[in-house]
Amino acid sequence: MHGITRRKFLIGSAAGSASLLAASYVNFDAWASREKIQGEVKVTPTLCDACGNWCAIKVHTRGGRIWKAEGIPLAGNNRGRMCAKGHGFLHEVYNPDRIKSPLKRVGPNKFEPISWEQAYKEIGTKVRAISEKYGPGSLFWVSHPQANVQLTQRFMQALKSPNVFSHGSTCFMPRNIGWWLTVGQAKPSMDFENSRMIVLVGRNPAGGMNLGHLRSMTKGRDRGAKVVVIDPRYSEAASMANQWIRIRPGTDLALMLALANVMISEGIYQKEFVEEFTEGFDEFAEEVKKYTPEWAAEKTDVSKQTIVTLAHELAAAAPRAIIHRGYHGAMGTQYKNSLQLVRAVGCVTGLLGNFNQRGGMFFSPKPKLGALDKDAHPNPPRVPGPMADGTGDMERYPLVPRGQGMTQAIPELAIEGKLKAGFVYHTNPLRTVPNPARVIEGYKKLELLVGFDYVLSETASVCHYILPESFYLERDDVIYTNQSVKTKQVSIRQPTIKPMYDTKPLLEILSGMAEHLGIGQYFNFTLDEMNRASLKPVGVTLEQLRKEGVVDLGHEWKPGPPRFNTPSGKLEFVSSILRDYDLPAVPTWEEPLVSPDPKDPHSFRMIHGKQAYHTHTRTCNQPYLMAITTINDAARVWIHPDRAKALGLKDGECMTISSSVGSGRARCRISEGIHPDCIFVPSAYGVFSRHLTHAKKDGGQGGFGFGISYNDFLPTYFSPVLGHAMVNEIVVKVEKTYA
Amino acid sequence: MPESAWGWLIITYLFLAGAGAGAFISAVACDLLAPDWSRSLARAGSLAAGPLVAIGTACLVLDLEAGLWEPWRQIYLVGNLRSMIAWGVIILSVFIPIAFIYAAALNEITFVGRIAKKYLLHLEIVGSVLAVATAGYTGVLIAVINGVPFWNTSLMPVLFMASAMSTGLAVAMIGAAIIDIRTIKTLSNFALGHVIFLAVEGLVLGLLIFISLTRSAEAAASAQTLISGNLSPYFWSLVVVVGILIPFVLSIVEYYEYGEMPKYLVVGADLLVLVGGMSLRALIIYSGQPPQIV
Amino acid sequence: MPRYGIAIDTTKCIGCHACRVACQNQNDLPVHEEFNRIVERERGVFPSFSKEFVPLQCNHCKDAPCERVCPTGATYTSDEGVVLVNTKTCVGCKYCIEACPYKMRTMDHGKGIVVKCRMCIELVREGGTPACVSTCPTQVRIFGDLDDPTSEISRFIAEHRAQPLRADLNTGPRIYYKRS
Ligand SMILES: Nc1nc2c(c(=O)[nH]1)N[C@H]1C(S)=C(S)[C@@H](COP(=O)(O)OP(=O)(O)OC[C@H]3O[C@@H](n4cnc5c(=O)[nH]c(N)nc54)[C@H](O)[C@@H]3O)O[C@H]1N2
Ligand SMILES: Nc1nc2c(c(=O)[nH]1)N[C@H]1C(S)=C(S)[C@@H](COP(=O)(O)OP(=O)(O)OC[C@H]3O[C@@H](n4cnc5c(=O)[nH]c(N)nc54)[C@H](O)[C@@H]3O)O[C@H]1N2
Ligand code: SF4
Ligand code: SF4
Ligand code: SF4
Ligand code: SF4
Ligand code: SF4
Ligand SMILES: [Mo]
Repeated sequence: MHGITRRKFLIGSAAGSASLLAASYVNFDAWASREKIQGEVKVTPTLCDACGNWCAIKVHTRGGRIWKAEGIPLAGNNRGRMCAKGHGFLHEVYNPDRIKSPLKRVGPNKFEPISWEQAYKEIGTKVRAISEKYGPGSLFWVSHPQANVQLTQRFMQALKSPNVFSHGSTCFMPRNIGWWLTVGQAKPSMDFENSRMIVLVGRNPAGGMNLGHLRSMTKGRDRGAKVVVIDPRYSEAASMANQWIRIRPGTDLALMLALANVMISEGIYQKEFVEEFTEGFDEFAEEVKKYTPEWAAEKTDVSKQTIVTLAHELAAAAPRAIIHRGYHGAMGTQYKNSLQLVRAVGCVTGLLGNFNQRGGMFFSPKPKLGALDKDAHPNPPRVPGPMADGTGDMERYPLVPRGQGMTQAIPELAIEGKLKAGFVYHTNPLRTVPNPARVIEGYKKLELLVGFDYVLSETASVCHYILPESFYLERDDVIYTNQSVKTKQVSIRQPTIKPMYDTKPLLEILSGMAEHLGIGQYFNFTLDEMNRASLKPVGVTLEQLRKEGVVDLGHEWKPGPPRFNTPSGKLEFVSSILRDYDLPAVPTWEEPLVSPDPKDPHSFRMIHGKQAYHTHTRTCNQPYLMAITTINDAARVWIHPDRAKALGLKDGECMTISSSVGSGRARCRISEGIHPDCIFVPSAYGVFSRHLTHAKKDGGQGGFGFGISYNDFLPTYFSPVLGHAMVNEIVVKVEKTYA
Repeated sequence: MPESAWGWLIITYLFLAGAGAGAFISAVACDLLAPDWSRSLARAGSLAAGPLVAIGTACLVLDLEAGLWEPWRQIYLVGNLRSMIAWGVIILSVFIPIAFIYAAALNEITFVGRIAKKYLLHLEIVGSVLAVATAGYTGVLIAVINGVPFWNTSLMPVLFMASAMSTGLAVAMIGAAIIDIRTIKTLSNFALGHVIFLAVEGLVLGLLIFISLTRSAEAAASAQTLISGNLSPYFWSLVVVVGILIPFVLSIVEYYEYGEMPKYLVVGADLLVLVGGMSLRALIIYSGQPPQIV
Repeated sequence: MPRYGIAIDTTKCIGCHACRVACQNQNDLPVHEEFNRIVERERGVFPSFSKEFVPLQCNHCKDAPCERVCPTGATYTSDEGVVLVNTKTCVGCKYCIEACPYKMRTMDHGKGIVVKCRMCIELVREGGTPACVSTCPTQVRIFGDLDDPTSEISRFIAEHRAQPLRADLNTGPRIYYKRS
């Protein structure tokens, strides 16, 4: 060997200098020529589906293979940006764990490929039998609702079942209802770029990604806006903010009420706005009198001075001052008092008088889409009555909209025998719904469970049939309008590559099943026909939309006097709807459902949150995204140094965590960036489907068996008014793990 | 922080190239200074030098990745004369054949040896210069890297040179004992060489650690891992005690007790020097730390 | 000829890692190779606790040690001041990895060569922006021509007195940081 080497070296020294000249001119073309080797580059605009934001992106393929993608600058909800999950999820199309054809379960965790025809036929027969035996009310559909919900609603309506569920009761429900009650709309938008003060209350758009919000917040910040993050944890958003207010978890309501107290008692609210555009101010003012900053300081562990200063700063910046409308954290489904909190935030926003003002909150203009011709394509008749979980029942959950319901009720209803057969579309309740032991028990009770997924998720693993929907990069979807922020926009998802396997888009699958269910007449159209009908009134052709991905229709939002879609037509300090149902109509302090024992060194509240590079738990098997977790050792559970010390924990050591419903082990991350009352669990892990193994290949981490999930510790709850899952109402016992 | 990109192959290369060069110099020194009673040592040193350096070089080549699978790329290795590797390649390309020819000449192997014998002195002079270059260059190779502050000092070539001399001498002495066990008595004369080289090595190493501790945070961190950190058990046992102190003491005894020391202790001391030399290089590579950037 | 550089405002970085994965895709990197990385630093004790995410990538040094030590000349600086590796002549000796004080080079074991941030030179030559710059939701990075005093990057550097990391290492980095 060394003889050859030696000769090479000798030749080298002679030939080296000559070749050097040549060599230094070859430069980078090996990289450039890769393109030529791998084929032609094609760019297709479409919508990302790595999380529910559905950002508009341009996907680049090379030689028919997915290569990379970038954001479309025009799109209001991502403004040309794309997050780590979006980039990483592109690789999922080549995930070897993908489902490659319809599957039928033939034993525990055992599946057999079947044809679409067989699947349709068998599912059709079984659903008909169950519907005849137990009534159509025993059927349900649950999904992570997106534009496609139009199709699934139609399908269930045709089957005469009212039971269409979403994940809302584990995600955002109080946020939606709270704003709707207060200002008449579930998701008011925010003009951050023109704001002078931006406050985030339990919302972390830098972890629970919202690219559009981040862009406009950054713009506002660059123009001098002060950004304040209120969070028990130093969130990712806090690292770009001016101030972090470390609040005791579950007590934001107290802080908001105290802000109102200061602003009203000092008379520093927007009086004209309150006068003209709000309802019930006096009653609200009377109620908040007792919520002094001293009182709130006690509750929130935030100093009186901080509270008063925040009120002053907000008032000084008003109306160009915004409290973020919230999403999942604090204002979402986390606490018993979350609905009151959203109401309180809405009322403080009223005091700031920022609605429909520059630098304030506003209602996004939304395009009105058309519909299929009713004669040629009749709608199935509306199904009357409440859902099986009491949604829409005036005696039980009158405020919860049909089509949302409570996803955590499904297993309970199955155990009670009220639900018998279901369809699970693009959601994974076995992993994302609290108390998995109970969820598994319930879902397993069903006589028929049909899943739609691209991998064998926890839920898919217990389905009787799995119908693989074509992946987002391979399919068309219904026209979408959520890109609209300040202008009206329409956008489309379309295939960027041909389907890799024997998979189909949702409408085709529904039509296929409909045939065998005797409801084929309601599915006598193609997606293109439906999309053309949708686009007709907005004057955009399908071809144009396919070419551009996003089309802006103008109608830019303009500041002006606000109009509220509430019963009074005003911003309601006193909610007339809540009053009608005999519920607390002005925001009132309400304790969290449970709290840790301050005297017990082992007692903590468990809180959780998103990481910017993971979507719920569905990216825990994605190698590119899991690599980020590994490099940063980011699956660790945060704990305050003082509390860790009391437990004898050193950074990185393992803790045993237990609650009334479950226990688990996790390594700790000791950080000053967390309130001593709680531990923080990143919410992306704890995957337990044995079929998710891809991330472990090449010695990586992730997939089956990786990390813990907060759901493992969370009992099944239904909040009193909205039935939401109250996902931060967990008290756990934490101990150092010895061997 | 990322670990060293270099591993065992490069460490072995640094060690073998140094030992080979040292063996060559030992052989030349014997041949010129003490021709009679040290024939076996000169022979052993000359025979070992070429193969050791060549094997070391093979390790270097094995560590090349693209260069290994597409060997024609190796012609580029001398493309940039600002690079120490380029100079190393040049030095090695000349030194390896000369070391082989020298071995042939000194031991009169084949007709090549017989012809070359006529130019023995020339070979010794040119070869020695190249051997010094080879040994010193292994130190310079890492000493020029300011990406690793601990390495980035002119003490490094001195340290590597001293270590190359002692390991080279050890190789030659072991070789001599193998060629002719009876000469082992006369080897005691050379123990003085060990005493001197090991003393220099020890002093330079001490100085390096001492200076590193005060020079920069990163150099100090590297030195710290050696003297008190996670590499310290290896450093103190393998480098300091096994590689320097024990052979140093044994060599003094050996020198003064001329020929009286048990054979296995004589050879044993040399083996310990080799263990120490290899450990020294491994620990220096592994303790290298980049500057703290943020 | 322009002389490209990037200015990084760490006060805006949220550690989202979008830049990392965008770069991996742009450059066809396998899972465990990276051209940029985000370092997280926590400082102080509550209430004066803070955290900084610092994005790191090759600094495209003017006096690049990696280039100086590269025996093959595979590492070279393009006319635009971008330090690149010629994939056809690199032998994989890894000397440059050891030599880079910023540790911003990685071994591509698949191809047996060393790879690093390339300032997305193909994109840039077509008039585009590097992938890590254009994907960043908070616009942490500003890309542009350091030689043009009117460019956004030059103005940013002047206005905020942005500095390279460890300028004392004397490699002449072309990535500038605003850190407070
Ligand atoms: N990367 C990523 N982005 C996503 C998603 C994803 O899966 N991954 N999913 C999308 C979806 S569906 C959602 S719902 C959103 C969720 O986005 P967010 O609403 O931002 O949700 P979380 O990250 O769960 O929680 C936000 C913050 O609430 C804090 N928090 C916990 N308890 C309290 C409390 O009592 N008071 C206060 N003030 N703060 C508290 C947590 O520490 C956390 O920092 O993200 C969306 N974007
Ligand atoms: N452990 C945990 N639980 C959570 C959360 C969390 O972060 N962690 N977040 C909470 C929140 S805010 C929300 S919004 C909910 C979300 O709850 P889910 O909607 O259940 O969450 P995802 O993980 O997004 O589940 C999506 C499922 O769709 C599948 N899927 C992905 N792409 C496709 C596709 O193209 N077609 C089809 N048919 N399926 C596809 C995925 O494989 C996965 O099984 O979870 C709540 N619960
Ligand atoms: S936020 Fe990220 S993952 Fe979600 S849709 Fe947008 S790019 Fe995709
Ligand atoms: S940062 Fe490192 S790799 Fe980049 S040019 Fe400088 S020395 Fe070379
Ligand atoms: S690994 Fe390649 S680029 Fe690096 S120094 Fe060696 S030849 Fe040059
Ligand atoms: S400039 Fe291009 S190659 Fe360099 S880190 Fe950014 S994306 Fe990667
Ligand atoms: S994309 Fe921007 S904000 Fe996110 S980690 Fe990279 S530099 Fe920081
Ligand atoms: Mo959500």
